[in-house]
This record gives sequence, C-alpha cells and structure tokens, in this order.
Amino acid sequence: MNVVVVHGDPNPNTSYVNSRGIWLTYVIVVVILHYVCLSLPFLTVGLAWTLSILLRNLIMFMVLHLEKGTPFETSEHGRLRFLTAWEQTDIGTQLCASRTFLTVVPIVLFFLASFYTKYDPYHFIVNTVSLLSVLLPKLPMFHGVRIFGINKY
Amino acid sequence: MFNFLHMCGLAAEATLSTTASWDLYETIQALFQAPSYHLVFEAALILWIVGLLFTKSYSSKVNKLTLTDKEKADLVEEWQPEPLVPNVPEDDPELINIRTRIVDSKLGKYVTLNGQKCLNMASLNFLAMVGKEVIEEEAVKSLKKYGVGACGPRGFYGTVDVHLEEEEKLAQFMGTEEAIVYSYGFATIASAIPAYSKRGDIIFCDEGVCFAIQKGIQASRSKVKMFRHNDTADLERLLTLHAEEERKDVKKARVTRKFLIVEGLYVNYGDICPLPKLMELKWKYKLRLFMDESISFGTLGKTGRGVTEHFNVPIDDVDFISASLENALGSFGGFGCGKSYVIDHQRLSGLGYCFSASTPPMLSQAAIVALDLLKNTPDMVDRLHANSAYLHEKLSRVPGLRVVGDTVSPVLHLQLAESDRKRASAMATLRCIVQMAEEEGVALVVASYLEKDERHLPPPSIRLAVNCDLDEKEMDRVVEVIDHACLASSNS
Repeated sequence: MNVVVVHGDPNPNTSYVNSRGIWLTYVIVVVILHYVCLSLPFLTVGLAWTLSILLRNLIMFMVLHLEKGTPFETSEHGRLRFLTAWEQTDIGTQLCASRTFLTVVPIVLFFLASFYTKYDPYHFIVNTVSLLSVLLPKLPMFHGVRIFGINKY
Repeated sequence: MFNFLHMCGLAAEATLSTTASWDLYETIQALFQAPSYHLVFEAALILWIVGLLFTKSYSSKVNKLTLTDKEKADLVEEWQPEPLVPNVPEDDPELINIRTRIVDSKLGKYVTLNGQKCLNMASLNFLAMVGKEVIEEEAVKSLKKYGVGACGPRGFYGTVDVHLEEEEKLAQFMGTEEAIVYSYGFATIASAIPAYSKRGDIIFCDEGVCFAIQKGIQASRSKVKMFRHNDTADLERLLTLHAEEERKDVKKARVTRKFLIVEGLYVNYGDICPLPKLMELKWKYKLRLFMDESISFGTLGKTGRGVTEHFNVPIDDVDFISASLENALGSFGGFGCGKSYVIDHQRLSGLGYCFSASTPPMLSQAAIVALDLLKNTPDMVDRLHANSAYLHEKLSRVPGLRVVGDTVSPVLHLQLAESDRKRASAMATLRCIVQMAEEEGVALVVASYLEKDERHLPPPSIRLAVNCDLDEKEMDRVVEVIDHACLASSNS
C-alpha cells in the first residue's frame, strides 16, 4: 500500500522529525518518563536519573538505529530498505536542525544526571556508555557503517 | 536556573519523603568536589554541542552538480523540445492498417473486413466463445440487473457478488485454494510480479516472454537474469553462478528472494515451457515459480486446465499461475490462482487490483457462463487439439514458409523460410501475403511488437490462431490461400 502524504515526500520517514510540534512532544515524553522513574519509591534520586536515561537511550537506539527501511511502500521502490531511520531523516543531510536537536538532548540529560548523582564513578561509567552508544551512530562519519556486519541486511 | 533546581529539589523531596532524603545543598557541594575526569568529559561535550550548533548542515551525497549561471543559460538556449507527435511517414504500414483495415462485425469465426466476409484466423478466439448466444443472453440479463459497472476499485464499493462468484468458480475449476480477478488481462501479470519481487530480489526469466511480463519485471526493480528461450541448460548455468555468489555472502543471500518466471505457452513463439524440468530446478535451487498461462488456459490439457494438466504436474507445485480471460473464455480481464496465502497478498499489494476499477459485472457474468460451457463440453478442447495438429501438419508443407510452434499449440507462427533477410523487407513480404490472403477471404495478421521497447525482439512472423469450430474444408481453404499468397509474393 502506498502512503500518500500531503507534502509530497516520496518517503514520509525523512520528514516526520521536522513535523509541527514533534520537538515539544518529545521533550514532554522524556519528562513524563523521568517523573515515572522518580516516583518509584525504592529508588534514590540518582538511580532514578540513571534509570530514566538508560531507558530513554535504549528506546531511542532501537527506534532510530536498529530499525531499517519503512513499514509502508514508498515511491522510492525499496532503495532505502537497508538504511536505518536515522540515516533516512532529511534524506541523508547531515547536521540539520532536527538531527542536532536529537544529538543535543541526550547530552543535556547526561549533564543533569551527573549533577544529580553527585558525580559518582559507577553512575558515570553507566551513563557514559549509554550516552556514547547513542551519540556514535549519529556522527556523520558513521553514516551507513555497520560494525562487524551486524544489522547489515 | 536556581529556581528551577529548587523546585525540582522540592518536588523530589516531596515524592521521596519516606526514603533517604536528598539534599540540594549536598549536591552542589558534590559539584565542587567532582572528579576531574568527569569534568573534563563534560567540558568536551559542551565544546561539541557548541561546535554542532555553529556548523552548517551538508548533504552526504558527494556528486552534486554545480553549474555557473552562464552554463545554465547555455543549456536553456540549446534545449529543443521534442515534437508532440513524432514524424510518421505517410506510407507507414501501421498507419495504412488503421485507415484501411476496418472491421464491421463481431470478431467471431467470421469477420467482415472492409465489407468482405473473411475467415478469422487472427483473433485469439480459441474456443469460439465470441458471439455465442448463451453468453450474450446472460450478459444482457446481467447488464439489466447491475448496469454497466461499479466504477470503483475492488476495495472501494467496486466488489459485486458476481466478482466473488467468478473467483470461486475459477479457483474450483483450476483446483487451487483461491483466485483473484483483475479487470485487464495485461495488468494481471504486470501487477502480480512487482507485488512479490522487490528491489534486491532476483528474477530468472525466459527471453521469449511477452511484453506484459517484461513490464512487470521492469516495475519490480529487481535484478533480472534472462536465459535463452526454453533452454534449461542455460538456466541451470545461471542458477549455479548465482549459487556461487550466495555462498560468498550468506547474510545477503538470506534476504534475497529468487523467482523463476515463465509462460505456459509462449504467445510469441507458440511453444510450451518444459515444466517437469523447471520443477526439478525449482526444488533444487529453491526458486518461486510464476507461470503465465494467458493462452494455455482453456486450450492445453485434457479439460483445458492448462500446462499443469498437460504435463500431469500437481497444480500446488506452481507457486502462482496467472491467466487471461480475454483469449479462450472470450470475456475481459485476467485472474491469478494459487494458495490462499499467496493470493491474499495481492488483495493489498497488487496495484492493478487495488487502484483500478473492477470488471463490469456483465463481463464477469460472461466469463462465468463461458467457464461453465468449457466445463460441460470438454470435447471443445479435443477438437481444438485436433484442429491445431491438422493445420500444423498441412502448413508445414507450404514451401517458402516455416511453421514455428508445438503441434498441440493453438497459436502458430509462420516465418519466412529464408531467414537471412532484413527485418524491414521480411515484414513487407509478410504484409503482402496478409493483404493477398485478405482479398481471398482469410483474415491474417502480422505479429506486431513495440520494436524499440522489447528486450528480445522475436523474428518477423504471421501469427495464426486456431479455432475449435473450424472444419476440415475451412482449414484446407486457409492452407490453399496461404500457399497462393506465398507463391504470389515471392514472385513479385
């Protein structure tokens, strides 16, 4: 089935990150996730921050960097079936506004998390690994790179 | 900033009132006692954000073409529009045909060409269904009940109960689980192929397939490997080469689908595909077999069920069979049949099914009646086989012409015996023969192709279609007329 979009994009995956109100929605969802983690009574504040950051990074990694192709037929006729969702946004343009936004958010969250965990070394290791796993695929030099051939086809 | 932090702190304290308390003052204390590696890392990240915010975006595509203004102006100046109508010379044979070969009656066994009644050997009217009163009466009744058509695709108020009945009857007749009906014979196979085969898949296809299949393959954007017409050794060679490549990149091979597309009875050559050998290759190399039975449906096999009945191969072994209702059944449209999970996919992915209007109910009813006729009088098919064999034998004795096609095939191609002539001159001679035959009361046709668009242009020929209602006298007359015409054209 073909997906007919009003703004005439051959692939809606390229432009949904630019759509109206998505940045605000994203921030609100992250805040809600964080409050849910904070309200769990058996966690300290530091653990809650680390947990929410881990969860957020994991979900974003699965959505943006693991899933390839599109769930619908596009007029590109399957040319993008091996590109991840991140590589498809904005038709491969690097460093545009939405891509910068999605790169900056985990970094800001990392700052807040390290502040609230009182710079504890164990929390630092966990948060850094999670942050790097989300930041590295977003670098321009990693466009189309598949380490060890995982997820290539 | 501090207000925000204060509010956060209060909120956190409120929610964590029962557990260990968390102090804002303590946290700020910790900031000044933070380990240096952490602060260095954070500083690096801040620098990176600043860098990101101040770098311009660029596209990762390397080959961007930049032209200067002068170059652009030059290109615009140089451009000449193509004519809307191409220059066709006045003596182009197709143009002459359109102006002079005018049909005045139904295209049944006899057709009135330019006022003269001719025996119709050109229409693919194999079972003489065109003009049968039974079919016409039922069709008119259906017209009075349903009107002329739903004017909508099958998914949007276009499905009439006659369509469902037609699909059920066709599935029952062919012995498969399900059938799907399209409203245009050409679009049937041209939509079915791209529904299953996409970019990144590989199709092994015979060189002699008809234009509809070629367009379907082109639309699928898959990789195509064509093997010589009906040459299973060539096909096996291609398959072994591909198996080698698969062994080198197993991951890629796991996501690549392989298809084998053939026609049951080739309309361009008149010969039958070697189905048993193809089945062997299918099981050995794990291909999906798609067969197009546009002219073998209703004409081959004891009861007209097609090539699978002809070779006694169980029909479930072929993954998908598509056929046209426009030839043997004399109706309009086409159908595909196979297992349920194969056919069901086309209900949403077959573009000719989802995005074209459904068949007018009158034509579906005509197809149902014609199918019932075929089921109840199977001797139609026997007569057709006998006629084909007789005509084949008689025509092979005509000097100057070579008959191409299987003995049992209802489609024969007559090529000129001297095969080293240029195409244009051979076509001219064939047209001459057709013209002379028309004057003597036999309507023939030169097989015409879109010469620039065909992948492998078949040699020039006259395409003859055998009718099950022909009797010996009429067939003898046809042979006689062709003989005279051939002689006369070779003398001129």
